[in-house]
Amino acid sequence: MVQRHVFGSVFALESAIAGFVFLVVLALLGHALLRRRAARGTPVTGQPERPTLEKYYVGVLTAFAVFLVAWTAWQNHREHRPPRSTPVTVDVTGFQWCWKFSYPQSPVKRSVTGTCRGRDLPTLVVPAGRPVRLRLTAKDVIHSLWIPDLRYKMDAFPDHVNTFTLTLDHEGRWRGRCAEFCGERHYAMDFWIKAVPPDEYDRFLHGQPLAGAAA
Amino acid sequence: MTVAPPEDKEATGGRPVAPSGWLGWATSTDHKRIGLLTVATSLVLLLLMGVLALLMRGQLAQPDEHFLDPLTYNQVFTIHGSGMIYMVMTPFAIGMGVYLVPLQIGAPGIAAPRLTLLGYWLYVLGAVMMLSGFATPNGAHADGWFSYPPMADKEHSPSIGSDLWIGGVMLATTGVIIMGWAVLWTVLRRRARGMTMLRLPVFCWSMIATCLMVIGAFPALLAALTLLAVGRADASVFASNVWNIGYQHLFWFYGHPVVYVMFFPFLAAVAEVLAVFSGRRFFGYKGTALSLLVFAAISMSVWGHHMFATGQATNDYYSLTSIALLVPAGVEYFGMVGTVLGGRLRFPVPMLFALAFIPQFLIGGLTGIMIGTPVIDYHVTDSYFIVAHLHYVLFAGSAFGLFAAVYYWFPKVTGVMLGERLGRLHFWLLVIGTNLTFLPMFALGYLGMPRRVATYATFDGFAWLNLLASIGAGVLALAMTAFTVNVLWTLRKAALGRCRPAGDNPWDAYTLEWATTSPPPRLNFAPGRPVPPVTSFAPLLDLRQREGGTPAAKEASGS
Amino acid sequence: MNRDGLKGRLPYLVVAGWGVLNGVLLAVLGIYGESSLVFWLWGGVVVLLELAALAVLASSRSGPDQQVRYRLPYRGAAAVPPAAFGCALVALAFVYGLWLLALAVPLLAVAIAMALHGTAAEED
Repeated sequence: MVQRHVFGSVFALESAIAGFVFLVVLALLGHALLRRRAARGTPVTGQPERPTLEKYYVGVLTAFAVFLVAWTAWQNHREHRPPRSTPVTVDVTGFQWCWKFSYPQSPVKRSVTGTCRGRDLPTLVVPAGRPVRLRLTAKDVIHSLWIPDLRYKMDAFPDHVNTFTLTLDHEGRWRGRCAEFCGERHYAMDFWIKAVPPDEYDRFLHGQPLAGAAA
Repeated sequence: MTVAPPEDKEATGGRPVAPSGWLGWATSTDHKRIGLLTVATSLVLLLLMGVLALLMRGQLAQPDEHFLDPLTYNQVFTIHGSGMIYMVMTPFAIGMGVYLVPLQIGAPGIAAPRLTLLGYWLYVLGAVMMLSGFATPNGAHADGWFSYPPMADKEHSPSIGSDLWIGGVMLATTGVIIMGWAVLWTVLRRRARGMTMLRLPVFCWSMIATCLMVIGAFPALLAALTLLAVGRADASVFASNVWNIGYQHLFWFYGHPVVYVMFFPFLAAVAEVLAVFSGRRFFGYKGTALSLLVFAAISMSVWGHHMFATGQATNDYYSLTSIALLVPAGVEYFGMVGTVLGGRLRFPVPMLFALAFIPQFLIGGLTGIMIGTPVIDYHVTDSYFIVAHLHYVLFAGSAFGLFAAVYYWFPKVTGVMLGERLGRLHFWLLVIGTNLTFLPMFALGYLGMPRRVATYATFDGFAWLNLLASIGAGVLALAMTAFTVNVLWTLRKAALGRCRPAGDNPWDAYTLEWATTSPPPRLNFAPGRPVPPVTSFAPLLDLRQREGGTPAAKEASGS
Repeated sequence: MNRDGLKGRLPYLVVAGWGVLNGVLLAVLGIYGESSLVFWLWGGVVVLLELAALAVLASSRSGPDQQVRYRLPYRGAAAVPPAAFGCALVALAFVYGLWLLALAVPLLAVAIAMALHGTAAEED
């Protein structure tokens, strides 16, 4: 779940910095509001501009921007490094208004879909602990595959295939959604992503139902 | 400096005979009337778009609501977004420029007044055309203000409301481009004697930056909409990914700069208000003017950050430029905070809005840096986190600047002051409502609520945060009611002659529009009250300081 | 009137410089790479901005930087509303059918005629 880890560290750092900047500005503003009231008889003070101070300030801002750009670009690349082991592939197709998950490596050409109505949500089954390459496309309009708990999404375009790799560290079931507005039932275009043990995944590819739940 | 009016006008004391009544307004070449028409039209539309927002918040207050069906909900959010951006904030920003720029530079009029008037009319007719979609059998356009193909093609959006939306937005945008050219040309080439570029008020510098973006970026929207119209006529166009992603580039090439068009004029209004009510000239004038231009230029290069999740954009570049924006933005804050830090603060209503702008917009700006970071954006894009961010920028930020501007310039435009008590009520309700509505949305997006969903399920766990936001929207409705009542009541009282005249310079302000009568005469500066000597970007403050007098000394020379 | 050359040219320099800044950012994008449509689009915008700058320069050369006398129409422009309605009808013709051009074209013709004759503004 490299996406989640990278997001976590970048989000934490940027939130902390943002919070700090916000508090500094708030403190300066609060100081002015308390101490600079005309009612207190405060006179106007200070020069109309402070060019030297401003230059240093711009220098600091620029240095910080350079750091932020470089560091976040590095994090972005870390997140998109090719996986160490060969990934399994799943073809994902978004359509109005549900998903289809096809398994090209399955001997029986397994494919899962649903109606996204009521409890009929399709489940994207993947092996836990192994990299999974999703090949995303769409049948009609643009959709976007979002797994909030993974902290990642990618758009699915018609006439185009987008690819990204994810690894789910442990077994479990997570909610996935469509994030790109796609019409009447956009709000209902949810799915499940389920990480199962590798041997169960193999049985799944051979067409057997998952233990415990209908796929 | 004096304007030499045509001979036959001498008799009317510099005020030419203008047709009175609605025809006089509809065909006026007076930049003040055109500006006022633009601003008033967009304020009326603001209320209408607010009603649409209330409908949305009503629908989302509870999980699994059936107050609006999804098709209606999609129309409502589409027209709310399109309306607010194309028909309210952008025209208001440019309309302010149409009204104020000639006055602030000491000119008797705007460059190309007839074209400016044409711009206004195209805007109004465009707005009407877009809204008329609600009256068609399948309702209004329902593909979002961005209207990506192939969603917006004829196959997936067959309703005629979509065609009306394209036509309306094109007309309105053409109108705004025309007005933008007129304002830009005015500030560059119609300045009065003494008004050098480096003596332009901050507001005029903001209009230069704004109008440069208008003329540079807005044509891309016309191109995008033309592409959309072609694709609606010929279905094969959007069968190809090239044009689908191409549309997104065209659209966002306009779609990001427009955010700054909807921001700079309000930021500059806040800057003027802060300076006046701090009793000093704006701190760091040169840095601010320069940073506005740099800000605007970089903003032309960041559009791809709306496309981080497309997998088809150069994310590293757009992230670089987006994060670089923090430098000029930091310079703006340097100026604003520096102004109040050394000031002698008074707190009339415009100042309250301007002060609230500082921390509230900051939330929008800081989260903007966060979502300019791809690894964060992959998670939060197209979620309520973005809804929260953009409303902190455009509502908690720009709209607060808008109200600061309305309260600040109302006496100049109408000759009377807006009610103080209702104004304060409006302000406090607006602060509470804004933060109550939009702060929970950051959490909602983080937790996984997508944007543009017509409803959500009970087990999603979004219920109480959404309820908070909806309650906040109710408070916003109260605030806007207070504002509307205030404006209408004040205008009514003024019409009945029961208002005390505000005077020419009720706030002891610094820029040239305050050196003439309220409201200003047809040619802005009557021969008896010529433009005072322009010695800096705060000429009236110079005058006062030279006279060594109190504000009262200057008032004496006024009326 | 450009007594101190640089300052008199500031309006031109602002527009031209802003266009150049766009060009620099575009060049940086060139290093990163992007689809060709973007380079046509943004490159076209840079050219447009430089043309605007040239227009400002031409205007600055033919007149003073700051004005003393202004040319202004002070009568209304009655041709504008019909012109705008004509444009709106053209837009509607793409929605409801080209027959609307039969209304739009005459209306625009009237607007042009009014602009040329009916309401010629008196100017200073």
